[in-house]
Amino acid sequence: MILKLAVRNIIGNGWRSLVNVLILSIVLIGMVWMQGLFDGWSRTARRQMQEWEFGDGHYEHKDFDKYDSFTWDKSNSKIPAELQSLIEQGKAVPILISAGVIYPQGRLTPITIKGIPHDQEILEIPTEYLRVEDQTGIILPAVIGTRMARSTHLEEGDILTMRWKDIHGAYNAYDIQITKIMDTPVPPVDDSQVWVDFTHLNEAKALQNSATHIVLKDDSDIVKNEQDFRFITIDESMQGTDALIDVKRLSGNLLFALLLFLAMIAIFDTQILAIFKRRREIGTMIALGMTKRQIVKLFTIEGCLYSVFAAVATSILGLPLFIYFGVSGYKIPQEMSNLSIAGTAEPIKCYYSPSMLLSTFILVLLITALASWMPTYRIARMKATDALLGKV
Amino acid sequence: MKKILYIILPILLFAGVAQAITAAEILAKVDENMNAKTTKSTSRMIVETRRATRTMSTVSYAKGNDIAYTEYTAPAREKGTKMLKIKDDLWLYDPSTDRVIQISGNMLKQSVMGSDLSYEDFMDEVELAKTYTATLQEDTVYDERSCYVLSLAAKTDNLAYSKRVIYVDKERLVPLYQELYAKSGKKLKTMRMSKVTKINQRWYPLQVVFKDELKSGNGTTMIVDEVSFDIKIPDHYFTKAMLRK
Repeated sequence: MILKLAVRNIIGNGWRSLVNVLILSIVLIGMVWMQGLFDGWSRTARRQMQEWEFGDGHYEHKDFDKYDSFTWDKSNSKIPAELQSLIEQGKAVPILISAGVIYPQGRLTPITIKGIPHDQEILEIPTEYLRVEDQTGIILPAVIGTRMARSTHLEEGDILTMRWKDIHGAYNAYDIQITKIMDTPVPPVDDSQVWVDFTHLNEAKALQNSATHIVLKDDSDIVKNEQDFRFITIDESMQGTDALIDVKRLSGNLLFALLLFLAMIAIFDTQILAIFKRRREIGTMIALGMTKRQIVKLFTIEGCLYSVFAAVATSILGLPLFIYFGVSGYKIPQEMSNLSIAGTAEPIKCYYSPSMLLSTFILVLLITALASWMPTYRIARMKATDALLGKV
Repeated sequence: MKKILYIILPILLFAGVAQAITAAEILAKVDENMNAKTTKSTSRMIVETRRATRTMSTVSYAKGNDIAYTEYTAPAREKGTKMLKIKDDLWLYDPSTDRVIQISGNMLKQSVMGSDLSYEDFMDEVELAKTYTATLQEDTVYDERSCYVLSLAAKTDNLAYSKRVIYVDKERLVPLYQELYAKSGKKLKTMRMSKVTKINQRWYPLQVVFKDELKSGNGTTMIVDEVSFDIKIPDHYFTKAMLRK
């Protein structure tokens, strides 16, 4: 009965209710779109990083710390037999990492050298361009990304010198030729990276079949005897990227928290006004036997119904928008694309998970319930006789 | 006839003695001249780039080749910057941020104040006789001085430069020119020494031009204005606490 009465009252409020529902609906559309965008970004980044960097998880040398380049030259070991077997079956790909320096246009530029087999097919890196055709030659084919090419002013066909220290600490230097500039959506594969052939980098570092990372095609191929390596799941690999996306998500959420706050003020105001205008009605209801608790419930449900109606309006008004951004995607602005986060190179397809939709609606419902309930403290202090006389 | 013999014999004898000096002995003499137990020097580093020429002044204190403390005294922008090297560790103090940072990893490969020297080069000072096997090549004349040419091959795998070629002044036994090579045989750096001066009992080049052969530019000139060897330097100069003083 209370619910029926609440619905009738909301409809009876006319324009005032409509405005409240519309404001709430706009906030909900924005919140769902924004959450969908960031969830979509995270999914796109994950897919791209799997395709270009981590496969279905990877083994990492126990001494390797991606945040401490001091560890890079020392963190490599001979590939364990079980992992070597996976590599030979095409189920894994080894990567050797070294710090180095190149001299584009005679400028000293510190880089990260990565050695990867030229015949691998697990990662999207165009490694076929790393094949050394002339084994007696001293020019090593190298692949770099577009961002690296832009920052160093290098073009395909350019020859330059690359210098590094071998495993014993002795300098070595080769000329390299840029055989391919790859367009990768994953900045960590591109920024300050020079990719060369795995075997040749091993030789140049005075190593033998040693690797820093071993990327798996399928995480079901985890081996028992990993020796100096430890397995890093794709979730662990994604932590840094997810954290960066969450920072962006937070700034978006702050904007919608502000809008939600304004919508709540509107509902709060409406409730205050309603209680003031409906004093006689409240008095009559009390006189007819309704408890104050039931009346508080009535007003709270009325407020909550705004968010229910707003959810309905959102699904009608927002659906075309959600479908458009879910199918065509949203192109991140150029200034954000320059951030070193995967997933920004192509339009991000918004992803609306049921849990996200439900949690967003429940959040708005709870906040609306709070904003609707707070003004009803006046009802609890009302005396039926005073209410009937309109004295409250 | 006798007269001629008197003249020729000493020349032949001297030539014989002179030829008897081995590559290892030359290298040991070079080390004697170039290395000291302790060194205090005031010097200028002139960096020539495509845009401008910058001069930086430093005061350095060193103990052998492993331990060194350097303070920049000019220009104003670099004044107060300090560097401390203890064996394989290198710390830098930046007065603008009042912070001490350890130079490691890729940072070691960066150029020092835009010069042709990297931080790594500060770490790679070695005693040549101990670490290289020398072979005498054909003599040459360099900078109007008669020189031995030594080809040095690293005795161990862990030296930064696996090969060096040095021109050593025959008379003063100081290097006048040096080429440093990578394992692949690529020439990486050259050093040209000049203004060789006798300081106490040793000959010492007061000017060195470093050139990174892979980098464009005219190189970096280091001019030593004052230098004293084997003096007493308090141990506290070689502590991290000194960086913040």
